[in-house]
Amino acid sequence: MPSAMPPPSSREDKSKTHKLALKGSSKTIVEFFDFACNTILFQRGVYPPEDFTTVKKYGLPMMTSCDDQVKAYIKKIMHQLSRWMQKSKISKLVIVITSKETGEHVERWQFDVNVFSDASKSKAASAGPADKENSAPAEEGATAEQKTDDVVQKEIQALFRQITGSVTFLPMLDGNCTFNVLVYADADSEVPLEWGDSDAKEVKNAEKVMLRSFSTNNHRIDTVVSYRLAE
Amino acid sequence: MATTSVLTPLKTRRDGIFSTRLAGGRAPMTPSPKTPRTQAVVPEPSESIHHGNANLISRFSRSVSKTNVRDSPKSNIATRPSRGSPRRVEQALSDYTLTGTAPRPSTASSAKNTPSRSRGSRAGSAHRTPKRTQSKVNYTAADRFIPNRNASEAITSTGAAVKLGENDHTPGRRPKSSASDGSAALAAGAASAFDFGRPQHTSSTSDAAASLSLEGLRLNDNNEDDEDEAPRSKASPNTVAYQQSVAEACGVSIKQRILAFKPAPPESSRPIDLRSQYNRPLKPAAASASQFRRRVLTAPERVLDAPGLVDDYYLNLLDWSSGNQVAIGLERNVYVWSAESGSVHSLLECPSDTYIASVKWSGDGAYVAAGLGTGEVQIWDVEEQTKLRSMHGHDTRVSVMGWNKHLLSTGARSGLVFNHDVRIAQHKVAELVSHTSEVCGLEWRADGAQLATGGNDNLVSIWDARQLTAPKFQKTNHKAAIKALAWCPWQSNLLATGGGSHDRHIHFWNTTSGARVNSIDTGSQVTSLRWSMGYKELVSSSGFPDNSLSIWSYPTLVKNIEIPAHESRVLHSALSPDGQMLATAAADESLKFWKVFEKKAGSGNLVGGGSGASAKAGLTKATTIR
Repeated sequence: MPSAMPPPSSREDKSKTHKLALKGSSKTIVEFFDFACNTILFQRGVYPPEDFTTVKKYGLPMMTSCDDQVKAYIKKIMHQLSRWMQKSKISKLVIVITSKETGEHVERWQFDVNVFSDASKSKAASAGPADKENSAPAEEGATAEQKTDDVVQKEIQALFRQITGSVTFLPMLDGNCTFNVLVYADADSEVPLEWGDSDAKEVKNAEKVMLRSFSTNNHRIDTVVSYRLAE
Repeated sequence: MATTSVLTPLKTRRDGIFSTRLAGGRAPMTPSPKTPRTQAVVPEPSESIHHGNANLISRFSRSVSKTNVRDSPKSNIATRPSRGSPRRVEQALSDYTLTGTAPRPSTASSAKNTPSRSRGSRAGSAHRTPKRTQSKVNYTAADRFIPNRNASEAITSTGAAVKLGENDHTPGRRPKSSASDGSAALAAGAASAFDFGRPQHTSSTSDAAASLSLEGLRLNDNNEDDEDEAPRSKASPNTVAYQQSVAEACGVSIKQRILAFKPAPPESSRPIDLRSQYNRPLKPAAASASQFRRRVLTAPERVLDAPGLVDDYYLNLLDWSSGNQVAIGLERNVYVWSAESGSVHSLLECPSDTYIASVKWSGDGAYVAAGLGTGEVQIWDVEEQTKLRSMHGHDTRVSVMGWNKHLLSTGARSGLVFNHDVRIAQHKVAELVSHTSEVCGLEWRADGAQLATGGNDNLVSIWDARQLTAPKFQKTNHKAAIKALAWCPWQSNLLATGGGSHDRHIHFWNTTSGARVNSIDTGSQVTSLRWSMGYKELVSSSGFPDNSLSIWSYPTLVKNIEIPAHESRVLHSALSPDGQMLATAAADESLKFWKVFEKKAGSGNLVGGGSGASAKAGLTKATTIR
């Protein structure tokens, strides 16, 4: 991923460093959401497998949709998400898989977003300039001593392995499903027209499984999948 | 529950009271702006409330109606139902409210109303006596029903309701109070109502007022029949305070909202069976995706000079025999190039006053027919390098020919097509009349049952071999001359035809029904078409402006590849007997060989064996050219 902004230098004041760090971390998170969304759509058979292509990411072959409509749809969501993320307005992202036939919510992937407080960031200012060759977002340089990008990528990789592996215990879907994306946002968030209030779309009679978490220097993501228990 | 109390204020707001409290001069019917902001979550586990007031209210009303309003804490606050007025039987009231509201046309749902009323009854009963005075005021406001229109439109439900109730008790009061008074009283009532839920800061008077208004509502319930109910039904949007109290009551944070991305996700192209997904072979087998498209060699296998090739779209000067020999007409000569040996010799040279207009191998690869500019057709034995016979009949150049066993069809500039039986002296056995301009495309179907011809009159004619007096179908879709004609090797009634520079289309025909089944806009003059025998593909050669070869999948009509083949327009093409190699001759005077349909190891031909050339092709070993 291209790093759009220059790594903060050690001379920068704390507040600025923090901003940059948060932005970079948000980018990492949104990118993670993007891949997670694609992976779930692929793994859970929401779209046919031939609509997906493989790209290398997090040291894994990741499936991403190559269907123009789906791509555009996800892109729109992620665009808004990154805006919210940079303002730390989001506390959860949820992908709900719904049966087209019954309209029931059959599976719910919830990613809890925890934003770390400023205190943890104070150290960041003292960090040296980032390794420019590194592909990581700018935040990484400032906070290298806390958590290197490699470590973050490894954690994400482990999580994706788990998501992929979850098909072994998740119930079979009938292949005729659609999906929705929900976010839990602060009440004072700016809400574009395309987003509207919704209920939580919980799965009824659900079993929940907590998956791995990962964290950047600014965010921690906890993942929970809930699914319908077989009758 | 705070709910009941909350609801009441809504109604009061209608009266215009709210204006004092909330929004000043705001019209009562408009939803308050604040409401959408706050959200409360309902205690029920599966559902959360979004900020819409309606949801909240409906929820509460539901729960309230089920549970019975009594439970709400406010009722306690309100004090006990000991009241002077006989009318209020609380049970009865609640029932009434439910039934009564429904019929009303008013906008608000009945559910909303019910809780408020019931609550009102409770509260009202306690405070009753003191309120009376104030209640009068309310009535006046309520007058809207009757004479008093001067009250703002806001008058609506609560006020009206109150009034009615009062009317029953004391009709005389109305006149006294002014509308404004009533609204004030109501407002106070509303405020008090809010406060009920929480610790109260309101003064006793306000409480009293609230109770009054509530009472009024109550009364209304009793008098269901009255018009009052309509106004009640409108529930006004909640205030922030209200929502907060609700949220608190439910123990939910109102700082958060759940947002959904509303546009529907794109439809999946088909239902997916994940089982097949999990069990798929490691190597994708037959792949539909573009990444698995077959590779086509884009470099020519061999390039030969073709000096003196006449640059004339209407001629047909190149053919490849089943015996793996290539014949090409260059000005006045026909050359035969053996693909096996790479040797070339001149087969014939025509008189200097004319030129070669077409060449065609017989199906067995033993003879070459050559059409001349004079209209003469010569048949040559290639092995012996001798002319077997000359056939006359056309008086214009013979620009296209086609063999069907011993039958040779010739198309001439005049637009006439003759069938010659080459075995007999009176060779002309049929005259096919349909074209009015030069015939430049002619192709027999492999089984000899149908013949397709294309001409400079933009006409495609499809003939039944048994009925040659008139074409079976005449197709006028092309907008330019049709030189490129090709019969599909795996579907015998499928014909592809390609038009000239003003047309640029390839049309596909069902020659049984005559229907056009598909079309491609190639973007350039189509000079020839060849179907693959091994793939469900066909190759087209292009003239201006592309000068390229394009390979199309059929029936998807996807262009697999476009090979920039020549520097000027590709005039002719011919397939090798094994179907792998394509020879192209272009106006740049070169002859190029392309391995466009290279066979994969182990894959067979789509066509097991037809008649004529393809049958023999099946037998020949892979074509080699040297």
